[in-house]
Parts: sequence; structure tokens; C-alpha cells
Amino acid sequence: MAIDDLTMRDRLTEYLSTEAGDAVQIEAFERRSPGFSWITYSFTARDRSDRRRKLILRVGPTNGLFAPYSVLPQVYALQSLENSRVPVPRLVSYSQEGAKIGFPFFICEHVRGDVAAPWLGSGATEEHRRRIVVQFLDILAELHTIDWEHLPLRELLTKVPFGERAERAPLTAWRALVSRPLNRYYPLLDWAGQWLHDNCPMPPRTTIVHGDYRVGNFLEENGNITTILDWELTHIGDPHEDLGWALVPTFNGGSRKLYGVMERNEVIDRYQKRSGITLSPRNLAYYEAFAFYQMAAIQICGIHAFEVSRFNDMRMAAMSTQMASIVRALDKAIEAVA
Amino acid sequence: MSQSFDLLIEGMIEAIRSRILPQLSDDFVRGQAYGIIYALSGLKLSADWAIAPLRRQIELQDKAFADVARLGAGLGHPKLPDGPRLRPDAPASADLERLRNEGDRKLGEVLKWTSGPGAAADPEAAKAIQAMLRRSMRDQLKVDISIMAKPMFHELATGEESESA
Repeated sequence: MAIDDLTMRDRLTEYLSTEAGDAVQIEAFERRSPGFSWITYSFTARDRSDRRRKLILRVGPTNGLFAPYSVLPQVYALQSLENSRVPVPRLVSYSQEGAKIGFPFFICEHVRGDVAAPWLGSGATEEHRRRIVVQFLDILAELHTIDWEHLPLRELLTKVPFGERAERAPLTAWRALVSRPLNRYYPLLDWAGQWLHDNCPMPPRTTIVHGDYRVGNFLEENGNITTILDWELTHIGDPHEDLGWALVPTFNGGSRKLYGVMERNEVIDRYQKRSGITLSPRNLAYYEAFAFYQMAAIQICGIHAFEVSRFNDMRMAAMSTQMASIVRALDKAIEAVA
Repeated sequence: MSQSFDLLIEGMIEAIRSRILPQLSDDFVRGQAYGIIYALSGLKLSADWAIAPLRRQIELQDKAFADVARLGAGLGHPKLPDGPRLRPDAPASADLERLRNEGDRKLGEVLKWTSGPGAAADPEAAKAIQAMLRRSMRDQLKVDISIMAKPMFHELATGEESESA
């Protein structure tokens, strides 16, 4: 079932009015991004007393790239981090069953700021990017040192299959998606999935992992990161995973430097000092390889959506053309671990 | 390429019909969209993937099969195709694509065998086969990369033209 913006606005009005027990008006309702996955809307809710509140609605469509969706990882993350030094928007409401809206969704407060463009290296000055990247690392260090065992995020461990190691569970989930039959089979990708499974290192400690921590997944304003976005892949795992993902050149304007400005050694030094976690070169190399596997798996989901589900979104078809370079980079990254 | 040529063309036509045309109100612009649909329908009937890259990939696969047979003589590796699979005549690209995809599946079986218990009889030989196969597969991917357009991540994600375009 496709999402129609006007219908969505009507359903949202009904939902918020029911929740408030009084009429709520929706103003400036706008789809914010043509996202591949969750659909984001911004709007202002106005109550009978003329009080206005700027809010964000995120909806998981049934035909999205990673459907079926669960709203719970994002909800647990926002709940768990609300009073922490990791900036996140305040959660307002949510429903996994899709009450009135028809799809899993959550509503959170609007946070000011702009998204950096990870693919272009950004037109921002080097000085500006350095200022941002230092905060980016410090926030990650904060995230990885949070005592999560008494927070709502601990619930995510109950979703890990019996007998599976928590830090390996995301790989297992991606492998299931990669193994679906398609027109083109990539033998190196298949083999790499098995290799990553067999060689997954023990984490130095288990921490909250954002799962998609990269340039482009935060808002910034006047040189300050105002919020960290996109918690749909968050889980409990190895902290090296977030660093491996953040260092992928694709998210850094093609550079091996973080945000095109910070050398890898400086990244490691800064992170270690701020977090107190000693990084293992082997774990980091492993998770840099895993990052390419995850990128390939995302492309496979696009190919599957286009080729099998006949979801005629040309962005899915276009994404698949990058498979060869990603799989090649994955094999090289595995070579660097071994 | 990963996609079947026909599927890709059908997807393009359907995307224009169902996602673009309903958003267009200007008659001239709608005419342009129908012009593209017509041209794509013609391409579907008359064009196909270039044959040379597919042939090159199959040649690489055949060489890899021959190397497996040589390096793994006497080992219980998965059964390999008999001799070169490329015929001197000029098969259609759909046949070549099928042959290339079958070759990838067979090579995948052999690659996984090199990491499994079946290769334990001679770990050194298995290691040499694995290294050779990975090199060969990377060379095959290089053929794909040579015919790949410049990525448009920014445009696909935001719907905006990038400054570097």
C-alpha cells in the first residue's frame, strides 16, 4: 500500500485529536525527503488555544526497502538517550501497530539544523568540518560509554535469535536478505558473508551501536551538531562497528579521512581518549569490511525491490549498478583483516 | 550489469507511467514523457547488453575453472564444466548473460568449498585455489566497473542536481 501525503495528513489529524481529546489542526505538513526507507514529514500541530508545536512524523511504509518495519529500535533509542549527552529529538508518540496512521510510526519534536551532504564532501570549509567532526566523535564516545543495561534499549537483546552472539546478529540479518535468489549472483559476496560470520571478533565491551553513524545522519546549525538522526539500525554490539561504518569513503566525499578532514590515526586517538575504550586494529579492520558487506546488502535490497517485488522505483535500479565496486572493495577489506 | 535488460527497460517505462506522468500537468512536458516511453519501447525490441563485456567475463570464468582443475587435481572439489563454454559463433547477449550467471554460481560453490571441511584434505592447495578465485572474481568485477556510469548518490537521495554534475 503506497503512502499518499494528503491521506497521511488527515490520518495524523485524527490521531493527534484523539490523543489530545480535543481538536488539533495540522499546519505546514510537508514530506521532508524522498527517502529510500522511512518517510519523514514535518508539520506544526496547533491546538484550540492556538499553541503551536513543530513536530516530525516518521512512517515505515509496507513497500519500503527494508519492510516490514519495526519502530521499536528508534523508540527505545530516543527514550534511552533523552537525558544523555547524545543529542536526540524528544519522543512525543509512537505506535508499532500503526494506530489510525496505518503504518508503524513515531512522532518526535522538531530540531533545528541542516543535514550535511556526505557524498559531495560538502561545500563547508575545512575549519567548519573539523569542528563538526570533533563533536561527531565525542558524541560517539558518549554513546558507547552509556550504561545501557537498565535502559529501554536493552529490550533489543530479546530480538537476538537464541544462540546468536549479539554483535553478530546484524550480519545474520543482512545475510538472510542477501541470500534471496536474484538474476545475478555475486559469489564473492556470498563467500564474504560466511567469512565475516566465521571471523567475527569478540568486542572489547558490548555497547549501544547506532548502526548508521555517518556524515549525513545528524543535523548541524552554526557549527554545532544539534541532533543525531536515523536510529532504525541501532542495536547492542561492538563499538568498532560505528567507527568502521563512519570511515567508509563513500560517506566522506570519497576521502579516507573522516568528513574529508581528519586522518584515521587522529580519529582513533580522539575516540580512545574520549571513550576510554582501547580500539583493536583487527576489530576495526573487520568492521570496515562489514561496512562494505552492509552497503552491498542494502544494494541487494534495492535490486530485490526492483527485480522481484517489481517496485518500479528507478532509484532502486540505479543503486544496483554500484554492486561491482562495492563487492570488490569488500574483498580488499577482507584481505586487509586476514 | 545486475539487471536483466528487458526488466530494466520495463521498469523505466512503468516508473514514467506511474510515478512521473501523474505529476505532470503541462501537455508539452507530458508529450516529452510519452516520447521517452516510445523510445524505450523501441530499445527493448532492438537493443541489448553489449556482448564484449559478457564474453570477457565468461573467458575469465573459463580460465578460473581450468586453474581449479589444475590446482585441485585429485581433490574432491565440486564438479566443474567440461572445457571452455564459449562457442565461436555469436550467441545472443541473453544466452551469454545466462552462461555468465551460471558460471558465477558454480564458481561460488568452489569458493565456498575452499573454506569448508571438504578442502581439509589439502589445505595448501585449497588456499591457492581460493586466492586464485578471488583474484579472478575481482577481475570480473573490474569488467562491470569499466561499464559503470558515474554514481549519482546525492541526486538519488535528495532529488537535487549536485554541484559536480
